[in-house]
Amino acid sequence: MIDLSLNEVETLSAKAARGGGFSWGLAEDIGRAARRIAVEDDKWGVAMLSLAENVQSFAPPDPARAARWRKGEADKPAETPLCPIRTAALLLDDPLPASALPLAIVGVGLPIWLDAMLRRSALRVARPVGPATRADVVIEHRPEIGQQPTGRRGAIDERTLAALNSFAARTYVPESERSRVRGAGGGRVDDE
Amino acid sequence: MTAIALRPPEVVMRLQRLGAAHPTRLSFLRQLIRRAVREKWRVRKDRFDLDDKGFGRAVYAVETPARTYSLVAFSTPLDDEKRSDRVIAQAWDTSYVLYDGLPDDAEIARLEANAPLQEAGRYTRSELVLARANKSVRLFEEVAAALAQGRQPHEEQLLGVGYLLRTTAVYGNGKFGIADRDEIAARPELAGSFQAEMLTVWLIRSFTLDLVDHIAYRRNPAGAAGLAPDLRRALGVGNATGLGMAPFLVRHPLLTHSWFLARETALARVRAEPQAGAAEREVFSKALAELRRRVARWHSDDARQAAATCSLTGDLDALVENFDRLLAQPSPWDALYRFAEDHFSLEGQEACVSLILEPHGALIDELGDTMKADETPGHGIDGTMSCASLRQALLDCYSWATKVDFADPAANARFWYVSAEKLEPRLGERFEEDGAELEQPLATARDALSLAEALAGEPPSASVADFLLRRPEWRHAVRRAQIVAKFPYAEIHDNLIGADLRPVDILRAKLAFFGARSFDPRSDRWLRIALFSGEPLIEDVAAMAPAGEAA
Repeated sequence: MIDLSLNEVETLSAKAARGGGFSWGLAEDIGRAARRIAVEDDKWGVAMLSLAENVQSFAPPDPARAARWRKGEADKPAETPLCPIRTAALLLDDPLPASALPLAIVGVGLPIWLDAMLRRSALRVARPVGPATRADVVIEHRPEIGQQPTGRRGAIDERTLAALNSFAARTYVPESERSRVRGAGGGRVDDE
Repeated sequence: MTAIALRPPEVVMRLQRLGAAHPTRLSFLRQLIRRAVREKWRVRKDRFDLDDKGFGRAVYAVETPARTYSLVAFSTPLDDEKRSDRVIAQAWDTSYVLYDGLPDDAEIARLEANAPLQEAGRYTRSELVLARANKSVRLFEEVAAALAQGRQPHEEQLLGVGYLLRTTAVYGNGKFGIADRDEIAARPELAGSFQAEMLTVWLIRSFTLDLVDHIAYRRNPAGAAGLAPDLRRALGVGNATGLGMAPFLVRHPLLTHSWFLARETALARVRAEPQAGAAEREVFSKALAELRRRVARWHSDDARQAAATCSLTGDLDALVENFDRLLAQPSPWDALYRFAEDHFSLEGQEACVSLILEPHGALIDELGDTMKADETPGHGIDGTMSCASLRQALLDCYSWATKVDFADPAANARFWYVSAEKLEPRLGERFEEDGAELEQPLATARDALSLAEALAGEPPSASVADFLLRRPEWRHAVRRAQIVAKFPYAEIHDNLIGADLRPVDILRAKLAFFGARSFDPRSDRWLRIALFSGEPLIEDVAAMAPAGEAA
């Protein structure tokens, strides 16, 4: 196992999320959420890899479904699992009215991410969701936003780390001769 | 007292002015020095195992009221052809960690197996900072040779360079496994921006001076001289900073805002002072004289910097001629600043800001505590805002960007990317190189205008949350727009992908906040600077009175 700092967890996760296909803004949110998972769970790397590998198999909440949530109406299952990141982003950006809580949402993909994303808000997933690939969840009001503990690290096994690095590498540009010379400033070398 | 408005972001946050930034008494190394003097930090050489050529290891322990920190230094042989300031280097003359506590033999052995490898090593939460430095070879050898012969080196030559070693990277905040900033952010002595990094560089400075003394002594134990105290104090630590640091101010908008807001608030407070007391005048006069001495030695082969330094010399001459008259006026510091604004170059104006702040510690030093931001939670998006309101906020905050014509290839000439080889930010030529599809989200002006255009196609009352549900590709730009609307110094008011961009302007602004001097651009993308030159040595602070901080 390799012991990553939380900053490494965050930056690697954000890059892997972007490499997996999330937008820059969502990738930033995912990096911070990964940090929250790593603080409490040694399986953060596996969770991050599952997310990066499954970006394309999730669907965002459609506007009609989101409107039902806001009205407190019962959720309806869909064939494709809900993207936990896009769902959380919507709930964070435009918090549900108190009257809509608690809210049951069915068929959320990788719900650990919904939980991690919501942890910085006044909402939370009611029961621990664990590493499920798809689950029905209940969103409820959080009595108070807890302080994130410090002094934790993000352990990860080498194979998962390599897989995440390969997702992150999709955001890098290979060097060319020209960029090697120009890219970082090039020109003059040490001369004193 | 008449309130003075802060200089607005459209004045402060332009690249040309950022590229003329000067350190002030709010700069991070000055904040560190003040605390160390106030708290009487003590430094001792816990270990100094260097051979005749100066290779080996040393530990400098600094005792603060609550904790001990140690600089663990390794000095290793390096072939001349491997010595490079670039981040692509793989070996260095010296390497360092700032260690949390006092390392035992096993810890030093662990660090010795890793620190000389820098990025290729692996570190733990006990290491707070990782750094390396190369000798300024010719000067280092000349100083060692002179001291070995029992004489002092040539002062002007020594101070013309200003340092014996030059750091090429100083890493903090969790890089390569070292401690996260979260772990030290609650410690008062390291809570401010870059305090752990500045402490490291301050200790490296003492090591470099002891290293040259040691080598000279080993060459001639009977007759070597030690470097004279005034020369020790005059020398700093060099630093070479490249493109990798440039995106920092863009990626940390809240922190950037806090730094500039503090400095601008300080300036406004001082300009609002109704009169200039004798003590303040004297400090100002001394600081002006000291700056003139520094500027006389400030050399750069960069044509733009050389011209700017030349203008600065003239500006400071004009300041000498006029400051008595200006400080006799009502609101004297405001009169002085307005004189600079009317008559000086940007370099002169920003130098004047630094000089005006210098005598006013009691009035402004507490603003240093505000120069930080907790960015860990991330900045939430207000999705309840309407698309029309967000678009209006964009047009208000980014009105400067509408002057850029992004249809012109010159305005779009560059793209920021991360290099697969070095994992560092780089700047590419969009129309000449591959990779623009992997552009990093640093084209702030272009993205703001494009977002405004996308919002124009939305129903005005539609919520931003609904917009982002359909258009998640705009999430980063929406977040940024909402930040900039609340924190006006969060954004650089210039196009960061234009053909005329000089990234060194961004670097200089950041480095001035660190407390850097002697800016020497080596291209449009990297520069050399000096830190701590002329400031107290860390081993002297325990005996200094709090007022004894260098002006």
